[in-house]
Amino acid sequence: MNKSAVRLVVFACNWDGLSCIEAAAQAGLVYPASVRVVRVSCLSRVHQGLMLKAFELGADGVMLLGCEPGNCQFDIDAGLIEQEYEKARRVLRLLGLGEERLVLCHIPRGDGSGFVGRVTGFIKKVERMQPAVPAGA
Amino acid sequence: MFDMEREISDSKIRLCLDCGKCTVVCPVAQHDPEFNPRLIAQRRLTQNSSNPQDETIWECLSCYMCVERCNYHVAFPEFIHSLRAEALAEGAQLQCSHGGTLQALMHLMAREDLRQDRLSWLPQDIELSEQCDTIFFVGCAPYFDIMFSDLEVNTLKGVKGALRLLNRAQVPFTILANERCCGRDLLLQGDREGFLALARANMEEFARHGVKKIITNCPEGYYTLKVDYPRMLGGTGIEVVHLTEVLAPLVQSGELDLGELKTRVTYHDPCTLGRCSRIFDEPRQIMAAVAGLEMVEMEQSREKALCCGASPWAHCGAVNRQIQEQRLAQAEATGADILVTACPKCLIHLRCAQKSGDGRIAQVEIQDLAYLAARSLDLGGESVG
Repeated sequence: MNKSAVRLVVFACNWDGLSCIEAAAQAGLVYPASVRVVRVSCLSRVHQGLMLKAFELGADGVMLLGCEPGNCQFDIDAGLIEQEYEKARRVLRLLGLGEERLVLCHIPRGDGSGFVGRVTGFIKKVERMQPAVPAGA
Repeated sequence: MFDMEREISDSKIRLCLDCGKCTVVCPVAQHDPEFNPRLIAQRRLTQNSSNPQDETIWECLSCYMCVERCNYHVAFPEFIHSLRAEALAEGAQLQCSHGGTLQALMHLMAREDLRQDRLSWLPQDIELSEQCDTIFFVGCAPYFDIMFSDLEVNTLKGVKGALRLLNRAQVPFTILANERCCGRDLLLQGDREGFLALARANMEEFARHGVKKIITNCPEGYYTLKVDYPRMLGGTGIEVVHLTEVLAPLVQSGELDLGELKTRVTYHDPCTLGRCSRIFDEPRQIMAAVAGLEMVEMEQSREKALCCGASPWAHCGAVNRQIQEQRLAQAEATGADILVTACPKCLIHLRCAQKSGDGRIAQVEIQDLAYLAARSLDLGGESVG
């Protein structure tokens, strides 16, 4: 499975999140090329505006990929991302786009196959939903 | 389609006498000596195109204080909106506040096939009239309460209060499940395309439901639907009234009795409701009908009311904060327990100042007028049913 019409944006933290993606690449694991990775210094940097902006620009789904609880490199694991994630989910629900289009994943450091499993599972789920952007828009 | 020369002409900016009264009354100019409405006009009119270096065009609050004072009623805010549209077209970048959340929301809401699920907040005790050609335009309150949940704002309290008051007054209305944002903030920040997309989507929705009359609680929605939609789309044929215009006559004639609240309040005139729409008396008439309510005016009120320091969710900075501090200090100086406003955006902006201030900022409670009036009838709570 390396082709999908689903446009997915992954906000990956520079540490554990990105290490999973790099591990997947080094192991030669395959996932659809329509997945776009945006590297951020920490998931706490990603607020609801950035998540909604991704949808505004045509994403069908957004994945937030960060360190497992307690593993934050900056020791500022203050629940900011959970708060912003919850706000964006509620906005997506009101908009009728569906809150399931946004997921927050904490995967162990360097778990490439875990990342590919989560991302392909997410793509299948989004594929079953109506497109977030109508054809021709 | 965008004709800057015509827009300059429509704004009557060439009637400017260079008297500088606008700058004297402008709340931004009081805090930022770089901002000067008269010189912005002069700079633009003495050259043939916009000056992308003129960053000050983004600072205007659209509070209409300058229009109030200008001998020729030059439409300076509209002139600024045109300059912004021109600057955006030439590649200027907007500095969005709140991380661009509101801009993203407005653009997402403009999608043609959007099917919103936005009525989950609607309490069961509120009666909607089926097949009614009058609608209550809710506005963005359901979204605001999520996006600004960390500010502990609850703008839906005002909407629920408004709906319960309309029910009590036996005014029939219904609510559209798929109304969009009115788009005022996009218009103010110069995004004409985004504004028109929202306006057209709303007009299609109104036409599909045969809407003939719209009641709003949000002054921004009121002014946009009443004035900007006909101006930008060329007539809508829909009557638009503000909640206070519906309730004030009923309260005065005795058809709607309000209850009692023993408290001292002061009223903040939202710029869009006051100076823009000339609705000064109706909110005060409603508050005067609440028994036990003591109403005190701030140093600046009615036509001279100070803006809440709002911006169209962009270029919000230190000057905006200073204006908000000033307004909250004026409210505190009256000794009022509650600062009443009729605009969800004033509520958000003032609350934002209170929440992010360093403790020096007056922490007076801020409430929506409709919520306050509904509370006098014990209709303000969540458990009413």
